[in-house]
Amino acid sequence: MNPIWIVLAAAAAISIPALATGWAQSRIGPAVAASLAEKPELSTTAILLVAIPETMAILGFVVAVLILYRGA
Amino acid sequence: MIIPMSRIRVLGPRGRLDAVLGAIQDTGLVHLAEPKLGELLQPVSLSERESRQARYLRAMVREVDDLSLGARPGSAVSPGAPEAGPSEHPEFARWARTAGRARRELARLDRRTEALERERAELARFEQFVAAFRGRLPSGNAGMQSYHLMLRGEEVQAVTRLRAALSAVLGEGFALEAADLPSGERAALLLVPNAEAPRVEQLLARSGIQEMPLPAGITAGSLGATLPALAARREGLDREIAELQGERRRLLSVAGPELTRARAVAQDRLLELGAREHAGITPRSFVVEGWVPAAARDRLARALARQFGAEVVMEEVSREEWRGEEAPVVLTNPRLFQPFETLTRMLPLPRYGSIDPTPFMAVFFPMFFGLIMGDAGYGIVLAILAAVLHRRSRPGGTVRAVAEIMGPCAAFAIAFGIGFGEFFGDLGRRWVGMRPLVMDREKALLPFLGLTVAIGFVHVALGMVLGIVNAGRSHPRQAVGRGAALVMVCFVAIALLAGVRVLPHGFFTPAVIVILLAFPVLVIAEGIIAPIEFLSTLSNMLSYARIMALGTASVMMAVVANRLAGAFGGVVVGILFGLLFHLVNFALGIFAPAIHGLRLHYVEFFGKFYSPGGQQYHPLGHWRPGDAEHPLPAKGTS
Repeated sequence: MNPIWIVLAAAAAISIPALATGWAQSRIGPAVAASLAEKPELSTTAILLVAIPETMAILGFVVAVLILYRGA
Repeated sequence: MIIPMSRIRVLGPRGRLDAVLGAIQDTGLVHLAEPKLGELLQPVSLSERESRQARYLRAMVREVDDLSLGARPGSAVSPGAPEAGPSEHPEFARWARTAGRARRELARLDRRTEALERERAELARFEQFVAAFRGRLPSGNAGMQSYHLMLRGEEVQAVTRLRAALSAVLGEGFALEAADLPSGERAALLLVPNAEAPRVEQLLARSGIQEMPLPAGITAGSLGATLPALAARREGLDREIAELQGERRRLLSVAGPELTRARAVAQDRLLELGAREHAGITPRSFVVEGWVPAAARDRLARALARQFGAEVVMEEVSREEWRGEEAPVVLTNPRLFQPFETLTRMLPLPRYGSIDPTPFMAVFFPMFFGLIMGDAGYGIVLAILAAVLHRRSRPGGTVRAVAEIMGPCAAFAIAFGIGFGEFFGDLGRRWVGMRPLVMDREKALLPFLGLTVAIGFVHVALGMVLGIVNAGRSHPRQAVGRGAALVMVCFVAIALLAGVRVLPHGFFTPAVIVILLAFPVLVIAEGIIAPIEFLSTLSNMLSYARIMALGTASVMMAVVANRLAGAFGGVVVGILFGLLFHLVNFALGIFAPAIHGLRLHYVEFFGKFYSPGGQQYHPLGHWRPGDAEHPLPAKGTS
C-alpha cells in the first residue's frame, strides 16, 4: 500500500478521536465546574467525568500506532 | 480491611441516662444508633429549657469560631451576640461575656487597622507620584498652584487635550508634565499661577480628570519638601499598625485559651444533648443502642460495670437483628497502606461487610504510576518532592498522605525507569550508557501495549474475583454469574492468544467450547443484561492501553526536551528550553498518571466489586479542636 495512505490513516485514527474528545470535554467541563460550585464534594466524580472522554483519544493513539506498525 | 463491629444495647434506670451517656462519652467508643421505638419505648425529646440552652451554646460556639483564635479574623466577626438565656454551667455566662468583649475589641482594632492600611496605600501611591516628578520641574514655584492628576487607561489621550485646552486659556503660563507610575497608572503634574486656579479647576472638572488628593497630614508645597513629610508619616503609620497588631495578639493570647476551653465545654455539652436524642425511654428505664468495634466491646462493658455495677446492663444485639448496611465503617490497614485510604475515601465509604479496596490500591496505583512515568530521573525528582512535602506537613493531614503516596510512586517510577533504561528520557543512554533491561519504550510500542493490556487483564480479573467473594456472602446466585463471567474472560484471553499463535493453536477450540458452556450459566444467573456487561468487561481491559499511550507520550516528550538542547543556536538557550520542556513534562508526568491511575481503579477495577454506601463511624466522645462541629450520626440513621 502507498505509505501516504498509511500515514493518513494513522493521522485520522488519532486526530478524529482527539477532536471528539476535545468536543466532549468542552461540554463536560463547564457542567462539571457548575456542579462543583454547588457541591465541592463531587470533585472525584468531576475528575472521572472529565477523564472519561480521554479514552477515545488514547485508544485512537493505540490504533494509529498499530496502523503504522502494520503498514511498516 | 473493614473492622468487625458489634451492636450493643445499654439498659438502666431512667434517672441514670445522663450519667451513662457521660460514661459512654468518656470511653469515646460508641457510635450511637436509635433503638427500635414502639408504644412502650419512647424517644427522648429535649425540654424547653434544654433546647434553649442548646441554641445559646451554638451561638456561643459560633461567636468563638468567628474570633478565629490564633488567626487574623479580619472582617470575620459576627455582628450578633449570643441570645440571652440560661446557662447551667456556672462559667457559660462569663465565657459568653468574655467572647462578646473580645469580639467588640477585635472589631475596633480591625476597623482602625484597616483605616490605617488604607491611608498607607494612599501614601505609597502619592510617594510614587512624587518620585516620578521629582527633579523634572523647576524647584522655585512660588505663586504657583499645583494639581496632581491621575489618568486611567482611556484618559491617556486626555493629556494632549488638556494641554491644548490650557494653552487656549493660559497661553504659555503653565507647566504640565506626565509620567508612568510603577503601578501601571499614568500621572500628570500641573502647575498654574495662583490667580488662574479657579479657571483651571473649572477646566479640570469639565474634562473629568481625577485629581489625586493629598494624603492626610501632608500640606501642599514643593515636591522636594513633601518627600520627608511622606516618609515620616509612613514610618508613623507602620509604627501605629504594628502597635495595633501587637494589641490584637495580646488580646488573643489573654482571651484565647479561655475561649478555646469555653468552646470545647460548650461543644461537649451540645454533644451530650444530641446524644440524648438517640436514646429511648420508658416510664422507669432507658435504652441506648450503638456500634462499637468488636475488639473494644469488652472494654466498654468493663468501663460501664466499674462505674454503675449491676444497675446498668450492657448486652450485644444478635447478628440476626441488624443488617450489614446499618453498621458504621472503620477502615484499618497496615501503616504502609494507610495513606492510600485517602484515595479510597474520595469515593463513598464501602458498605459494612464488603471489601476494603485500599490494600489493592496501595499496590496497583503506584505500579501504574511508575509504569506511565517510567523514568529514573523524574522518579528521583518526585522522591525529593515527596520528602520535602513530608517534612513540611503535619502528621495525619492530607498533604502528609499525598507525600506518603508519592513515595511509593517515585520508587516504582525509578524501578521501571531502570528497567526501561530511561533517565530524563534518553539522557542516561547518551551520557552514562544506560541500557533498557526490560524493554525500550521508545521503540517497543507493541510489546508495551501487550504488557499493559495483560496488566489490565490481571487487574480486572482480580476485581472480578473480589466481586465473587463479595457476592458470595449475600447473593450466591450473583456469585455464580460473576464466576461464569470470569471463566469466560479467562477463556476469551486463551482463545485470542491461541488465535494469534502465542499459545499452541490446539487451545483454541477447547477455549471456545468452554466459553459457549459458560455463556448460558451467565445469562441464567445474571439475566439478559449480563452479556452486555461481559463485553464492557473486555473493553475495560483494553482501557489499560492508556498506560502504554501515556507512557510513550511521556518518554517522547522527554526525548524531545533533550533534543531541544542542541536545536538552538546557543548552548545556554538550548539547555534552558530543554529544562523548561522537562519541567512541563514532569508536571504532566505527575498529573496524567495520577488521574488515569485513579480512573483505572475507580471505573475499571472498583466497578467489579465495590459496594459503596457505608456510613462513617462517629463515636460519641469529647470534642477536641479540629473535630467536626457535630460529630454525631444524624438522627434517623440506625
